[in-house]
Amino acid sequence: MSELSHDPEVLIQHYLEDRLTEDEAALLLELLQKPALGEADPLHEKLLHQLSMDAMLREVKAAASTSTGPVILPAAPSAKTKARFSFTTLTSVAAVAACITLALTWLFVFTRQLPSMADAEDTTAAVAVLSRGVNLEWQGESHTPGSPLSPGWLRLESGLAQIEFYQGARVTLEGPAAFRLVSSSQAYCTAGKLSVHVPPQAKGFRIDTPKGTIVDLGTDFGLDLNVPTAELHVFKGEVELHATGAAMKPLYEGQGMTLGDENQAFTANQAAFASLNTVDERTAESQRLAFESWLSSRPEWNNEASLQMRLDFQDPVGTRSLRNHAVKAPQVPAGSIVGCDWTEGRWPGKRALEFRNVSDRVRLSIPGEHEAITLCAWVRVHGLDRPFNSLFMAEGYADGAIHWQITRDGKLRLGIAGRDGHPSRDHDTPALFKPERFGQWMHLATVIDPVAKEIRHYLNGEEVARVPWLHVFPVRPGLADLGNWNDGGRSDRVAIRNFSGTMDEFMLFSRVLTEQEIAKLAR
Amino acid sequence: MNTHETRAAQLFLTHHDFVKGVALKYAPWPGLMEDIAQQVFLEFMAKEERWDLENDLCPLLATMTRHVAMRLWRDRTKSRPEVVQKLADHIRLLAEESELPPRYEEEVALLRGCLQKLPEKSRELIQLYYYSDIGTPQIAEQMEMKADTVCRALSRVRDKLRECIQRQIQQGGVAHV
Repeated sequence: MSELSHDPEVLIQHYLEDRLTEDEAALLLELLQKPALGEADPLHEKLLHQLSMDAMLREVKAAASTSTGPVILPAAPSAKTKARFSFTTLTSVAAVAACITLALTWLFVFTRQLPSMADAEDTTAAVAVLSRGVNLEWQGESHTPGSPLSPGWLRLESGLAQIEFYQGARVTLEGPAAFRLVSSSQAYCTAGKLSVHVPPQAKGFRIDTPKGTIVDLGTDFGLDLNVPTAELHVFKGEVELHATGAAMKPLYEGQGMTLGDENQAFTANQAAFASLNTVDERTAESQRLAFESWLSSRPEWNNEASLQMRLDFQDPVGTRSLRNHAVKAPQVPAGSIVGCDWTEGRWPGKRALEFRNVSDRVRLSIPGEHEAITLCAWVRVHGLDRPFNSLFMAEGYADGAIHWQITRDGKLRLGIAGRDGHPSRDHDTPALFKPERFGQWMHLATVIDPVAKEIRHYLNGEEVARVPWLHVFPVRPGLADLGNWNDGGRSDRVAIRNFSGTMDEFMLFSRVLTEQEIAKLAR
Repeated sequence: MNTHETRAAQLFLTHHDFVKGVALKYAPWPGLMEDIAQQVFLEFMAKEERWDLENDLCPLLATMTRHVAMRLWRDRTKSRPEVVQKLADHIRLLAEESELPPRYEEEVALLRGCLQKLPEKSRELIQLYYYSDIGTPQIAEQMEMKADTVCRALSRVRDKLRECIQRQIQQGGVAHV
């Protein structure tokens, strides 16, 4: 990781990129709060000018990105075009046609020189991954197993977290702990109890503490900063201890040392630290309990009067249909599996369907029209390979059909096809599905609320978007596909919109579920 | 669209640079202004039948924009570490006290002209960062520069563009970056 820069220009740029570290944020705040010493352009003015220019440049870019397609008025976007309009485009339509010409000319000259956005490579700032966790309680930002971790603080209130650094070191952290990832080979810890395994490839892995630095030369060790005299225990191999204000001391297998003002030697005690086996055992137990809890609590939903469909994907081995468990919707038949492989779901023993190939889908039929709908699914996204990645899509797109999907840029979208003279509309979240979320189980829910006249989207039980629904009319699930789409009209070819991922639960209600109910389903 | 809807949309368009100015004032977070303006438009249109379009819409739009800005600001900043939130709040206060451009759209139009006059190197930088969405660390790697140098260079290009816009506003005619 780069060192903390004191240059205001650099700090402002980091703010504009939304990648300020906490230390940088603290420094920039301090600089902004200092009284101006007669400079021509005090820092706060500079920052606001930079921010304003940044916004304008983004707007010019946004206009460029929409300037090649047909001009669309915002109140009636077609389903097959962008739902979010550009104000610049609108304004241009209204009054500034000359600007479009200028922008197009400029864009043409400009964009010929460099690769298009579609060709741009995704990048990540992550340096480690949270490989496993047991009973994790976080203070501040929370992380789930499978999450890539970028440099910054992890504040663990309780539980066991296993962190694998990209260079190969593996840290088992016991809460309460305050642990900062610095780079793929370095961390800083002010509180907590941790054990570290450093394979030969990660030799030189370093942990800084307020009482000194530990440099590992390829070994296993434990560090306890929760006792008054912080303790270092070497279980295997060799460790360098650079205690504050003291010369470097090498420590070998079986040796321990306090890190206080006086370094006192003692015998290392491996049993006092959580081992990888401990994590394995506790993870397995935690997963077993979670699965049992799901098995016992989910059937209560089956009697819910508004439940149209509940697929739990626990159907017998070899079956090619998915039973609909909604007992009060006998007219809604089972789903029919086309393609798709069976795979493991959220927990060992939980089954799921993997959607991978172009043809993979579950064919459904949900009769009737509904003013209110709630769609819920547990999914794991492998990648967003298509412009539209289907979760649940009604056949065709007309007469109140609904399309629940993820766009290539990671937005969860509910498209509602127009009817009775009302236009089709898409209702999007901001981009949620970044590559760093791929591979993690997520609970998605989307609500069509005719009373509030809005569409609400939820991720893992939390509302992530609320979009006005301008014209309320009954929607129609009808014949539909999970994980794919059939355009319902063409016989020669069909657009490819298959989902790349795994699903292990799907529910459709003909009413608006409350926030509490959605949060309960997401647990 | 009925006549009232069309009229409402047209009136909104004539005010949308005003909306953006207000958005930037109350939510100076990178990339948030456009989201706010779009959300205000949607909410304005959702209730269009309630509005008396013969009245001055500025007070109404200012209030709507402020509410939307505060909401999106909260959503965007609430997950950030405490010190980042403090910084963001401080910047918001500074923005509220400042006089941001009242004619946003006009400045954007001038900006297009200024961009065309940038030297090749600066142009390439803007292209990479804004058009290709490449972050400064990756640009640094690509251009074999230090990441901090790229940050400073971007900052200076933006300063130059601002000067160019101001020159055009004050003097009229062609300005050179």
